[in-house]
Amino acid sequence: MTKLNNSLRIAVDIGGTFTDLACFDEATGNISFGKALSTHGQLVNGIQNTLDGAGVDLTNGYLFLHGSTIVINTLLERSGAKTALLITEGFRDIYEIGRVNRPDAYNLFFSKHVPLVPRSLRFEVSERLRADGSLHKPLDEKAVRELARELKSQQVEAVAVLLLHSYRNPEHERRVKAILQEEIPGAFVTASHELSQEYREFERVSTAVANSYVGPRVSEYLGELEQHLGDKGFKGDFYAVQSTGGLFPVEHARRDCVRMLESGPAAGVIGAQAICAQLGMPDSIAFDMGGTTAKAGVISEGRPLTTGSALIGGYEKALPIQIPMMDIFEVGTGGGSIARLELGNSLRVGPRSAGSMPGPVCYGRGGTEPTVTDANLILGRLDEHNFLGGEMPLYLDRATRAMEEKIAKPLGLDATRAADGILRIAVTQMSHAVKAVTTERGLDAGSFTMVVYGGAGPLHASAIARELGIRKVLIPHAPGYFSAYGMLFSDLRYDYVRSVFRHLDGLSFDEIEAIYKEMEDEGRAAIGASQIRPDELVFERAGDMRYVGQEHAVTVDLPHEFFIEGDRAAIKTHFDEVHKIRYGTSAPKESADIVSLRVTVLGRMKKPPRNTVEKGSEQPDGTALRAHKPVYFRSADQFVSSAVYKRELLKSGNVFTGPALVEEHASTTVVQLGDTVTVDLYGNLQISIGSDRT
Amino acid sequence: MTTTQVQIPAEKLVDPVIVEIIRNGLFAVTEEMKTNLMRTAYNLIIYEALDFTVGLFTREGDTVSIGLGLPMFIRGMSETVKSKIRHFGYKNIGPGDILVTNDAYTTGSHLNHFTFTMPVFHEGELIGFTCCMAHWLDVGGSLGQITTDIYSEGIQIPIVKYQTAGKVNQDLLDIIAMNVRMPERALGDLRAQITAITTGERRFTELVQRYGNREVQASIQQIMDQSEAVARQNTVSIPDGTYEAESFMDDDGLEIGKRIPIRVKVIVKGDEMTVDLSDVSKQVKGFYNSGFTTGIACAQVAYKCLTTPTDYPVNDGSFRSLKVIMPMGTVISAERPYPMRVWMTFPMTVIDTIFKALAPAIPDRSIAGHHADLVFPNIHGISPEDGRLFIVGIGPLGGGWGAKSREDGVSVTVCINDGDTHNSPTEQLEAKYPVLVESYKIREDSGGAGEYRGGLGAEMIVQALSPFSVTTRIDRMHCKPWGLEGGGEAAGNGIAIRRKTGWQTDLPNAKIFNVRLERGDAYKMLSGGGGGFGNPLKRDAAKVAEDVREGYVSRQAAEELYGVVLDDNFQVKLSETGKLRASSRA
Repeated sequence: MTKLNNSLRIAVDIGGTFTDLACFDEATGNISFGKALSTHGQLVNGIQNTLDGAGVDLTNGYLFLHGSTIVINTLLERSGAKTALLITEGFRDIYEIGRVNRPDAYNLFFSKHVPLVPRSLRFEVSERLRADGSLHKPLDEKAVRELARELKSQQVEAVAVLLLHSYRNPEHERRVKAILQEEIPGAFVTASHELSQEYREFERVSTAVANSYVGPRVSEYLGELEQHLGDKGFKGDFYAVQSTGGLFPVEHARRDCVRMLESGPAAGVIGAQAICAQLGMPDSIAFDMGGTTAKAGVISEGRPLTTGSALIGGYEKALPIQIPMMDIFEVGTGGGSIARLELGNSLRVGPRSAGSMPGPVCYGRGGTEPTVTDANLILGRLDEHNFLGGEMPLYLDRATRAMEEKIAKPLGLDATRAADGILRIAVTQMSHAVKAVTTERGLDAGSFTMVVYGGAGPLHASAIARELGIRKVLIPHAPGYFSAYGMLFSDLRYDYVRSVFRHLDGLSFDEIEAIYKEMEDEGRAAIGASQIRPDELVFERAGDMRYVGQEHAVTVDLPHEFFIEGDRAAIKTHFDEVHKIRYGTSAPKESADIVSLRVTVLGRMKKPPRNTVEKGSEQPDGTALRAHKPVYFRSADQFVSSAVYKRELLKSGNVFTGPALVEEHASTTVVQLGDTVTVDLYGNLQISIGSDRT
Repeated sequence: MTTTQVQIPAEKLVDPVIVEIIRNGLFAVTEEMKTNLMRTAYNLIIYEALDFTVGLFTREGDTVSIGLGLPMFIRGMSETVKSKIRHFGYKNIGPGDILVTNDAYTTGSHLNHFTFTMPVFHEGELIGFTCCMAHWLDVGGSLGQITTDIYSEGIQIPIVKYQTAGKVNQDLLDIIAMNVRMPERALGDLRAQITAITTGERRFTELVQRYGNREVQASIQQIMDQSEAVARQNTVSIPDGTYEAESFMDDDGLEIGKRIPIRVKVIVKGDEMTVDLSDVSKQVKGFYNSGFTTGIACAQVAYKCLTTPTDYPVNDGSFRSLKVIMPMGTVISAERPYPMRVWMTFPMTVIDTIFKALAPAIPDRSIAGHHADLVFPNIHGISPEDGRLFIVGIGPLGGGWGAKSREDGVSVTVCINDGDTHNSPTEQLEAKYPVLVESYKIREDSGGAGEYRGGLGAEMIVQALSPFSVTTRIDRMHCKPWGLEGGGEAAGNGIAIRRKTGWQTDLPNAKIFNVRLERGDAYKMLSGGGGGFGNPLKRDAAKVAEDVREGYVSRQAAEELYGVVLDDNFQVKLSETGKLRASSRA
């Protein structure tokens, strides 16, 4: 077995519509891409189609990396396993009760979250621990065993276990899980502490239940895929992408399934991080716009910002998932977002989306309501005959008619101005997503470079940047394959959190050090157990801190030195600074608590080198200029003749100014008047944003 | 909801695109104010219970956007801003000023509601205000006892400047600090509020700089006009007429068992509604009064729920087609020195009663009665950990909501006074206070029976791990959440105490003041359900079977109230059910 025979690092990302592939050949240094429609119900076929389309031979693979929407889809479609919940005596209903909030406060027709486990499958376990982890009432193992037999007779496929204060003392949960596994050998069992060792029982139970609920289906799918890869001659290692963007071996993914929740979006941020690292840009915004949503993440000082939880399924009815994940803010604005007039003639865009069926009016598949994509077509930014490389015709006349009837006439506008208005509204909505991860975190968006990807992102990148005072936008190579591409740059990653509740003033550094060490050792062992030998191990420590008396905590990095030196003052000062940046105030005289300790263990992987593109002159080659066509720009208040470039024929060193369009297979970049584009060494479009703001 | 379109005159129209952009922008400003307040607050009532409201206001003090918080504070905030404008006059309000008050008769609520207001200036011109009310855990006054005048309820700060041209009034801070039990917490919450209003001021200014003051102001007017248009349209669709309803509160906490009448009259004519609250009870001796602005808010909250429930941002345009008739001196328009500490409880029932009045007119838009109380205890004691006083309000418990004409009621959700309010996680409580939560569960059979069943209430038992005193101010134990159109009433709220000798469950009301629990003693709180809608004998028998299988309804209730007989596997016994239903109807 020579290295040449298995030199491929293959990344496959299954999204809602497409399955994307990026493949790095270590022998040649080449990266190739592929795309095929996702095949719902038979995801493995979609993957094989993508591999075939791109001509990737699995027998040459040494690493297969995978992200998928299967977890989130199983949750949203409610197509998971028959699941039971075992919970501390007295607390059977907390998963249904939730947090009792009613966000849509004046709506008498509100509804709350619907549990994934009905009440008749939720059972109490006789036991109780105190908040400090001490025993209040012993576990009745005999009763648990009887219950397990009952569950077996009811053909329960999965079980979640939540016992109070298991974040301090997981012993009872471990015992209950062991008994369940003895009695129901095939069942998928999740004990809450395995996924989250943070307090807040509703959030933890919801996380454990979600994992068990999706577990059998996701585990089976990953097993099938592993089998399929083997059948096709793949002899390398199979890793999945977590919501942090980090990799974990497939056997862990089959157990901690819910960690794959946001694998695709997270991998996109990793891709942005990789590009920025190569270009020496420490601070950037990763912005992704697809058909139904736009998402923004942040890379600050070279590291993506992460968060500790997410809400699945809309805030009002959300099921919380409490795991470390990329801090991504999402708004319901995408290419398919529908524009409509509400009472009193107010113009709204989204969050309802035309999706891919029927899709925007211009797709000619029966859509009747104008969308963001229709607006782009009307303004000349998309091309009737050159969409998806000309594979799919668009119908400008239908889009224009719908725009006139539904929006323009009632508002006394023409179709052009209505379309422009829709884009401006969409752009401000998307700019709120970026603000949410920058300005609202105390970060100055204007000083960041925005890396824009996803099929629809480059159409609006320049306008969003103007809205936020961002000066530099980067459109990476192959923006339509970016999540798969990002996976090639992922590292092995394990995250650990422990709630501890300690006053900083009376902190025992030995005790804290011991907890950190324990988590780090766990991470070292987990990475050591995998097949891959990473280049280096990196341990990152952080703590969730708050002022004494506050509840919500801020996560602050806590470098190793603070602990070696036992430097309370340095920790406190650091926390004050972070609080000040985040919220604009701090209280240096008040004392602080450490609520939770966090450790991230990274096994750094060798990174693919960046491919450079051919060097050209400042003036793009004549062949790269496909045409000139009229495109509407608001700053000119008219259609302006704009150059249309073919992206694949642009060369490094090319420089051109707006108004212009850059077309490629799955995306179009709009360059506004006043913008200057420079094609860099790697083929990225680096756009210097002009000074006008509309 | 309906099809006729109310048009705004063409000459008032602003570029609809700009209007929508500003609308999104205003909403984002108050959402960020809310987030920053929650994330930096010191007391659970703010960060979990979300007992606060933030907002943006016009130069005149009208509401432009409110971030919830407390839905019931929809009026109090704007009226407090207006009082501050009247008090100082525009010429005495300058950049960098922050105006404060906790005057109960200004905010319409209790002294815990410290309200900070900051003017927003653009190119030297006053263009609006940001404001933040938040509930402080303690403002001095009597601890746990019922009060009979405002002076025993804590420190009163009239309308004064907390900050003048950026300089903080240290004297005021010192006075406050000396009059509250936990000054470091109170001042922590104060800092959080200042963060919220300065965030709002900064973001509103950015919006004006980005789009121009003229466009922003014109857009604000248009947003309000749009809300007005929607409200009028959804009022026109209510049949003209006069609608009345009545209910009662259990008592005022002093004269136990003496009911307090709540009578409302609603007059609908064309696209306008008048809510007449003249016959709501006079102000009472115990601390259940609220101020004039809250009385108005009762009508406004009900009106918004029925006409513009999902119109955002929440703004004053929605209320132009609503008139309220209410004299001073009622229990929801109380005057100094009547006590106000539990201001929030009675108004909820006033709102419920307005829905009840309108149910015959718009049965498909109304809702049966709900548990209408926060159902939470106030606890204080000495922490065994550090020997210091602790004060905590656990909850709210959440309770049942009423059924509607085609939907079951929602179970265990916070009452209408509150919105995005969260309960207290057991693991959080037990880590901070000497309590052990023994159980938190759904109450079987607590929802009113009906073709559509009312939502269920909850119960929670909390044991003292070291001695503490508990106070509950819960009402609606006797006035149970009512059904509509033949639907049954729900279980009411309640309280019980457990001592070594056993449970005491026969308390005359749900109000206990400073009851000391020893180690091992416990209290139990019960929240009511929601009323049912329609005749329970018409409920789909399969749904009744499912309710029994899931434990929401007992077998006994299934038979007695719904006329549904089930076998051991929860399958409907068709013939017995048919017979039972036929005989029950007769």
